[in-house]
Amino acid sequence: MTTTSERLHRSNDAVEDPILEVKNASVTFDDGETYVLDDVTFSIERNEILGVVGESGSGKSMLASALLDAIPAPGHLSGEVLYHPDQHTTVDILEFTDDELMEYRWADVSMVFQGAMSSFNPTMKVGAHFQDTLKAHNESVPDGMEFAREILSDLYLDPERVLDSYPHELSGGMQQRALIALSLLLEPEVLVMDEPTAALDLLMQRSILLLLEDIKEKYDVTMVFITHDLPLVASLADRMAVMYAFELIEAGPRDRIIGESAHPYTRALLNSTPNIDAPLEEMQPIPGKSPAPVNVPTGCSYADRCPLATETCTRDAPSFDQVEDEHTVACHHWQQAREEIALSFAGGDEAGRSTGGERR
Amino acid sequence: MPTEADENENVSWRSDSGVSADVTRWERADEFFEERIRKPAIVAWADRRTRIGLLILGIYLGMALIAVFDLYRAPSTNQATQLAGPFQSWDYPLGTTMSGVDLLSLIIHSTPDILLMIIAGSVWATGVAVLVGTLAGYKGGVVDRVLMSISDVVMAIPGLPLVIILAVTFNPKNPIVLGILININYWAGLGRSLRSQVLTIREDSYVEASRTMGVSTPRILQKDIIPNLMPYVTVNFVFAARYVVFASIGLFFLGVLPYSAQNWGVTLNYAYSGGALFTWEAAHWLIFPMIAIMGLSLGLILLGQGMDRVFNPRVRTRLAENSESTRTKTDAAMTEDH
Amino acid sequence: MGHYYLRRTARMFVTVFLVASLSFGLIRLLPGGPFSLLRANLLRQGVPASEVDARIANLQNIRPDAPLWEQYADYMLAAGQGDFGTSIALGEPVSRIIAQAVPWTVFIVLVSTVLIFVFGILLGAIQAYWEGSRFDQLVSGVSVTLMSVPFYVVAVLALFVFAYQFGWFPTAGTVGVGVETGVNMAFFTSALHHAALPIFSYTITGIGGQALAMRGNSIQVLGNDYVEVARLRGLSDSRIATRYVARNAILPLYTGFLLLLGFRLGGTVILEQIFSYPGLGYYMWSALESNDYPLMMGTFLVITVALVIGVYIADLTYGMIDPRISRGESDAY
Repeated sequence: MTTTSERLHRSNDAVEDPILEVKNASVTFDDGETYVLDDVTFSIERNEILGVVGESGSGKSMLASALLDAIPAPGHLSGEVLYHPDQHTTVDILEFTDDELMEYRWADVSMVFQGAMSSFNPTMKVGAHFQDTLKAHNESVPDGMEFAREILSDLYLDPERVLDSYPHELSGGMQQRALIALSLLLEPEVLVMDEPTAALDLLMQRSILLLLEDIKEKYDVTMVFITHDLPLVASLADRMAVMYAFELIEAGPRDRIIGESAHPYTRALLNSTPNIDAPLEEMQPIPGKSPAPVNVPTGCSYADRCPLATETCTRDAPSFDQVEDEHTVACHHWQQAREEIALSFAGGDEAGRSTGGERR
Repeated sequence: MPTEADENENVSWRSDSGVSADVTRWERADEFFEERIRKPAIVAWADRRTRIGLLILGIYLGMALIAVFDLYRAPSTNQATQLAGPFQSWDYPLGTTMSGVDLLSLIIHSTPDILLMIIAGSVWATGVAVLVGTLAGYKGGVVDRVLMSISDVVMAIPGLPLVIILAVTFNPKNPIVLGILININYWAGLGRSLRSQVLTIREDSYVEASRTMGVSTPRILQKDIIPNLMPYVTVNFVFAARYVVFASIGLFFLGVLPYSAQNWGVTLNYAYSGGALFTWEAAHWLIFPMIAIMGLSLGLILLGQGMDRVFNPRVRTRLAENSESTRTKTDAAMTEDH
Repeated sequence: MGHYYLRRTARMFVTVFLVASLSFGLIRLLPGGPFSLLRANLLRQGVPASEVDARIANLQNIRPDAPLWEQYADYMLAAGQGDFGTSIALGEPVSRIIAQAVPWTVFIVLVSTVLIFVFGILLGAIQAYWEGSRFDQLVSGVSVTLMSVPFYVVAVLALFVFAYQFGWFPTAGTVGVGVETGVNMAFFTSALHHAALPIFSYTITGIGGQALAMRGNSIQVLGNDYVEVARLRGLSDSRIATRYVARNAILPLYTGFLLLLGFRLGGTVILEQIFSYPGLGYYMWSALESNDYPLMMGTFLVITVALVIGVYIADLTYGMIDPRISRGESDAY
């Protein structure tokens, strides 16, 4: 149970000791007309695993890049991205000089990209990538390589073999793990992972997830896990955030998002997710298409697909409501959603509530 | 359960049946035109280089027609004063040669044979390349190894010297034979790159599906594979044509190719050996044939580069389907989830 | 790996063997056969008709009266030992003529190819870096224009302007008259002076295509994830430009080496004739003019062998510099 005094210190989404705070972050293209990230505000708690879920084209890759201030060229990032190296220090990474940014990236916050194969230079040995990174950050190469070997072994790879291989000589799973090792090389505080397992088979996905939990404990790192695969991240994350049409629409503890989600989209997403337990007939696709970046509707962006949409929805964009302490949602009708959209899988609302209770 | 033979029969019955096949054939022809000709043409035309290239080639075609229908006097010796300068008289605007031949008529009347030679050479080169490349790539195994070994050897022989020896040996005068002769081993390199493209297409699911359905090899090659190679082949057709221009004129200039009538290369040779090198007064005798050669190859290169854009799928969808929805979709795909 | 090199080497020898056989076949197809001119020459010189065949055999290592397969065997054996008979027009052994011609041709072809690579790559890389800029558009335009100029046109114009009109360069030869061959400054500058225009003609017409190819490759590589990841990892721009972009953009160009080399080696027939530069191509052309078949075939064979060796070296080194080429499957070009 949380106490009132604690609650006073919290920001909107109830994070006590944020390591990263994103405030009103927007990414625009074409002279500010095309939004690919629209006024996103959220925080990442120190040492948590945050799962960010969204379908492809929902802006989640932009969110990942925003955390490193690495939006691809014509895009423009505005807002604030605050980094807290410790509880008492705050820096806005968007104010960084080029040198500061270069220091911040990889050493404080690093990133694992979607395709491991395309993240490695095909004509360079894997080991050379590690050495390049150490040299660029003026770290001792022998010490750093020693550390690299340790991480690689922790990821169940043969360090000598992997370091001496070219990327194409490794299997997909090995490449992905080597890339995770590369991202941990400078002992970052935060590791942002953008669909890190998308290209792998199911077994390899699972084993990498298990490894990530161990890695998180051992290296004391905060993780942001971005994916379209809701069940996958649900097994790993402490907290989850859901994105739709370049906006954040719901955030909260994992069990509340899974069991008692408040946004109609999240509930529809859960119902459309394949589940071994659920019979196929119960799976429901979400009708309609998500909006393109140029013509995001004025009101709630989900309004034209939402069964509960009213005039208010098409007129006013919803602000964040607090469902419970740590659970926020951007919807005008979230109470109604929880009553009218049933979760089709076993362990929906009721079961969710009980697990939620157990956790606290 | 139907046996394998049953299924095979089914397939052939379906694709060859009378009335319904006619309808689908029309539809297919329509779709073929839409996908393979109209859309690429729009994309290619949207590029300025294509338009300029076609314009230039059109001028040469016009010159060829003028020569074929004899709309301009044929070149002959002493039809004018010797070595008249250019732009001095309307009777021979480009000046005359040492033996008093009108340069303009010389250049115009060279065009038909040169165009014939170019077309013959590039049809030969791309035709053989497509045949070798698709067969080797699709059949694989021994066929592949044999064809590729032959290509390797053929590729290892430097083009010009081989052509020279063949020209001396066979002494062909027909422009079509000459065109083929000049590109006698051009197909080898192109065939090899076509083979690797076929290897990629071969792995595509629809080709695999055709194969499992028991569709015959020539049919798969014809329906599934060759259409996919067409843009690449078209671009290379243009480059093969340019090679014919370069090589043939060079060899005519060298005086090693047999000829029945003067052409730009032969004129160049005469000018070169006739002393045009030593004096500014005869420079036009050298320069105008050169301009004719460079203009033709410039037209071909511009056309080839413009058509190269057909390869780029992003540009292609954007230009061919100019609707709002497609554009935003491609834009979204570009900015998100790369 | 060893297996691959072995097979690649074997293929080189097979290719040379096949080309030699082809040249033997072609000689037989030549108008009047290989020996009619020589026979006529010898008869004119007063050699008795009964001895002519023996003299021919003596000069060309082939007995005209022997069966075809024996002639073939003799020809191949002699060619294998570098003996291509005696030049009819020049009266010297073909091998001696070729031996002193080869270095000049290799010099011109090699220097111009290197120059084309270096300048093409530099230009293309700069263009890609400032894609869409004035500079990019200007260089692209110039490149396309240069691509449409045959090298012999530049050669003739350069000869006309710089050699005949201005007299800045010699109009013929490989070195100045009276310059001693050897490692000395006078020889070196004289050789460069004579080779400058031929090399210029080859280089200026080749750079455009190479620059365009490099530009396209670089732009493609710049769009790859690993370039972005390298940037995030904090690598310096120069390190990214050289090791991540340039290297991956240049590799595919290396495969075009074969075509470039073959084109240039073959082109010497025209180029060296224009500049009266006595290399392989020049001798091939003059052999052609005088129906000197032994010399013609000898130069043809040697030009081919030079190309085969060039491609062989390119193939092997490509396998070494691009780790992705699996040694089992040779697909270097």
